[in-house]
Amino acid sequence: MIIGGGSVGLMISYYLLKKGVKSIVIERKYPGSGNTYKCATGIRASFTSKEHIALMKRSIELWSELRDELGVFYERSGYLWLLSREEDLRTFKTYVSFQNELGIPTKIIDLSEVKCLAPTIVIKDLLAAVYDPLAGKASPFDLILQSWRLLVEKGCKVLAGVEAKKILLSKKGILGVETSAGFIESSTVVLATAYDTVKLLEPLNISVPIEPVPKHAFITEAYRDLFKPLIIDWTTSSYIVQTPHGNFLVGSEIPERPSDKLLNRLEFLRKASKVWTKYFPWMKEAYLLRYWTGYYDMTPDHHPIIGPLDDLEGLYIAAGFSGHGFMMSPSVGEVIADWIAEGRPRVPEALNLSMSRFKKGKLIKEIAVFG
Amino acid sequence: MDSEKVIVCRCEDVLLSDVLRAIERGYRDLESIKRLLRVGMGSCQGRHCLPIIARVLAKTTGLRIDELNYPSSRPPLMPIQLKYFVSDGNEG
Repeated sequence: MIIGGGSVGLMISYYLLKKGVKSIVIERKYPGSGNTYKCATGIRASFTSKEHIALMKRSIELWSELRDELGVFYERSGYLWLLSREEDLRTFKTYVSFQNELGIPTKIIDLSEVKCLAPTIVIKDLLAAVYDPLAGKASPFDLILQSWRLLVEKGCKVLAGVEAKKILLSKKGILGVETSAGFIESSTVVLATAYDTVKLLEPLNISVPIEPVPKHAFITEAYRDLFKPLIIDWTTSSYIVQTPHGNFLVGSEIPERPSDKLLNRLEFLRKASKVWTKYFPWMKEAYLLRYWTGYYDMTPDHHPIIGPLDDLEGLYIAAGFSGHGFMMSPSVGEVIADWIAEGRPRVPEALNLSMSRFKKGKLIKEIAVFG
Repeated sequence: MDSEKVIVCRCEDVLLSDVLRAIERGYRDLESIKRLLRVGMGSCQGRHCLPIIARVLAKTTGLRIDELNYPSSRPPLMPIQLKYFVSDGNEG
């Protein structure tokens, strides 16, 4: 049984099904409603830890398969980091050589190459950029709606509008879950519940180090294809990506404290508009259609908590993705399915990401978390 | 009424027949139908299409309107150009 019908929960169910295991997914609202539908849609392996890179390399292979198997929109259209400070260029040179060593083809590019990738960009304040041609973007709508349908067709259950209330224990392990629709028996339970993982495990005296940090995004009306890569302005922690439909999805960091309420802030609209109309002056004329907020479920080392719990047999966690849950969902789904069906994950680096790392003090350091 | 000839969402060109097919395929809430067909994602942000589609969905499935996951309203009230957030008050 899987609690949480976002991209992570549904992908766990999907890869379990591939191993012949039929699962039940329960989702409090509707599939995708937590974080998946609010996400920035980017997919990259260009991280700065071997754990993230290993999981994302596998995820990128699986994204291609999902495109073929489920008809999910996915494209390797790249990521572009815009750099305007000498010190950032120096830092990124270190990242790039680390990534190249692990087989990720990031490279420093000059401004004429930036112009090729985004012809309408104004480059006057820029120094250089980093390009990752292996990165890309996918449609969260397709992933949820298509995997959901397939799971139901193949005899799995995806129960929308059913909320987990309490995990019940037996002497040996897990008995099942008390839900808003009654008790569901299961000796294996996976929590793919982002920040709600904290609340579900509190009654069992298990404290999970995840904090929700508010994030903001808006979307404009649709334009013809103007640039393919997801672009990040490193100086202002802002991103922009053109969706397959043509809209521009924009995010930008403004000061927020963990657990703050999700509020719409004019400050965000001002900052994000300022950053991106400077690079793309024509965007001043673009109409903003919608502004929404959501949470990153952040862990102390910005890496997810994946895997079984040492002291409670049958309970697995896949949460705390710190802004990368959607892109990682295929490989995390596969890794958790491995763990449940075969006892160990095929990506060995995933072993470093279990909850026990916080007890042992073996935190993982990630330097690049964006917008 | 020919459902192939009735447009229920003018912003994104969605036909009544598209909505009926989505319901047949098992999508029974407005939030999911929105992401499947793009209804409510255009410049009207659902002002015109969603009440119509809600009624179709309620009628077809027997569900009440409040059981359909009616999409959240989000700012801005009307589409607005980005220049109004970067201007110093003198331009635009």
